[in-house]
Amino acid sequence: MNHVSPLLAPVDEASAAPAIAFDDIRLEFGGKCILEGLSFAVAQGEFACVVGPSGCGKTTLLRLVTGLLSPSRGEVRRLGNAVDGPSREVAIVFQDYGRALLPWRTAAGNVGLALEAMGTPRQERAERIDALLDKVGLSGHGDKYPAQLSGGMQQRVQIARCLAQEPRILLMDEPFGALDALTRQALQDEIAGLVSDSGATALFVTHDLDEAIYLGDRVFALEANPGRLADVIDVGLARPRDQLQTREHPEFLRLRHVLFDHVQKSH
Amino acid sequence: MSNPSLRAGSVLVTFSIFLLWQVTTTSGLVKPIFLPSPSSTFSNLWQGLTRGDLLALTVATIERMIFGWMLASLGGILLGALIGLSPRARYWLMPTLELLRPLPASTLLPVGIALFGLQPGMLLGIIAFGAVWPVLLPTIHGFSAIDPRLREVARTLGIGPLDFAIKFGLPNALPDAIAGMRLSLTACLIITVVGEMITAQEGLGATIMMAARSFRSTDLYAGIILLGVVGAINNTLLGFIERALTPWRAGR
Repeated sequence: MNHVSPLLAPVDEASAAPAIAFDDIRLEFGGKCILEGLSFAVAQGEFACVVGPSGCGKTTLLRLVTGLLSPSRGEVRRLGNAVDGPSREVAIVFQDYGRALLPWRTAAGNVGLALEAMGTPRQERAERIDALLDKVGLSGHGDKYPAQLSGGMQQRVQIARCLAQEPRILLMDEPFGALDALTRQALQDEIAGLVSDSGATALFVTHDLDEAIYLGDRVFALEANPGRLADVIDVGLARPRDQLQTREHPEFLRLRHVLFDHVQKSH
Repeated sequence: MSNPSLRAGSVLVTFSIFLLWQVTTTSGLVKPIFLPSPSSTFSNLWQGLTRGDLLALTVATIERMIFGWMLASLGGILLGALIGLSPRARYWLMPTLELLRPLPASTLLPVGIALFGLQPGMLLGIIAFGAVWPVLLPTIHGFSAIDPRLREVARTLGIGPLDFAIKFGLPNALPDAIAGMRLSLTACLIITVVGEMITAQEGLGATIMMAARSFRSTDLYAGIILLGVVGAINNTLLGFIERALTPWRAGR
């Protein structure tokens, strides 16, 4: 597990607070109850994954953390403070990278958008953009427009833009769901490294149980109608993880069974 | 379409039309006072441009057209941005705009003359009014129909309304706005010429009108050919501008 170094985050009340806390959340939308009595907390520096059947409110959960959506009851807290709208400390990687990038800006321009929003001085931006593109394996592709990049590369641009925010909380909404298997595995390893390097807290939504176990320190399993927390499993697998060894580890297989049984039950 | 055989075909069609025109006039089917031969039309055109005042008149018309177009484009994009970004402005202004839009600009000329007199500014205003619609409507749509996902991106990044308009709205509206500006320029040329005919302000419109009334048919046709050339140049130039301003659409 990654702990935020005290040098980076001064020890105060906020650093002791969980990065994300859901306190008895209920959410209704169009007369339908989406989430009911949801309570859980994600510690700072933790990589938390959320799995569940479709319609269990996984995406809604992320939108509550971003502040793009408010709960009907209960309170969502980020780093100890009640959420009252979007903050640049929170970045979100959307699944549909094709819609989340500005088609009229190059890869570099899309990453630069976050820096412009952060108020990074113009003369520092080019260097930062290069470093960020390099981090996600896109050096040399900065001057390409999204339409000229493959799906995996577009998603890398979006990840770089989110990292440009230097977020303390990184939300990801099935970010690799639309990618082919090989690209997905490569990006899983990359995102694990990037998150642990940045010291950010990650909340990762997926419908892929293997992916959740592979990436997560903990996996939150939701059930649907209405969306409720059904189970939480601790993933004790060593890091850095490996696509072959970790996935063949007996503990990985055991957790996979536990989660699979759970999802079968809630269906 | 850069296929050489297609290009050769287009040249052939154009030449055939001129050839047909030449044959019709030299055979004596139509009297030269109604349809002069292309050769006499072109020699008249050349003389008018080099020795007469045709060049100055053409410049006057093009100037009027360009200024009217710039007014229409600027007004269309600014007003379109405002209406597209603000639902309230949409509710307040759209009914009035829908009422004004179908009015033919030429019918407003007498009103303009009555209210403001025969000033050059009045004619420019009428040209801009008639040519603003093809820019305004797609611009409104471009600013209002931004992908909801991009709006969320803007919100999570804390991007303010002005930056949102410039970095999200404008580029989203630009391709359609430029297509509109292309139509608008054609509308400008038409309204400019009609306006010059009605208000008798110096320019190709008034010249063509005078030539027709005094049976100077070679002048009439020379003027029309000039207008055709101006229109074709407009279209080519705007094609270049479009590609330069929206590079992300290259190869689509």
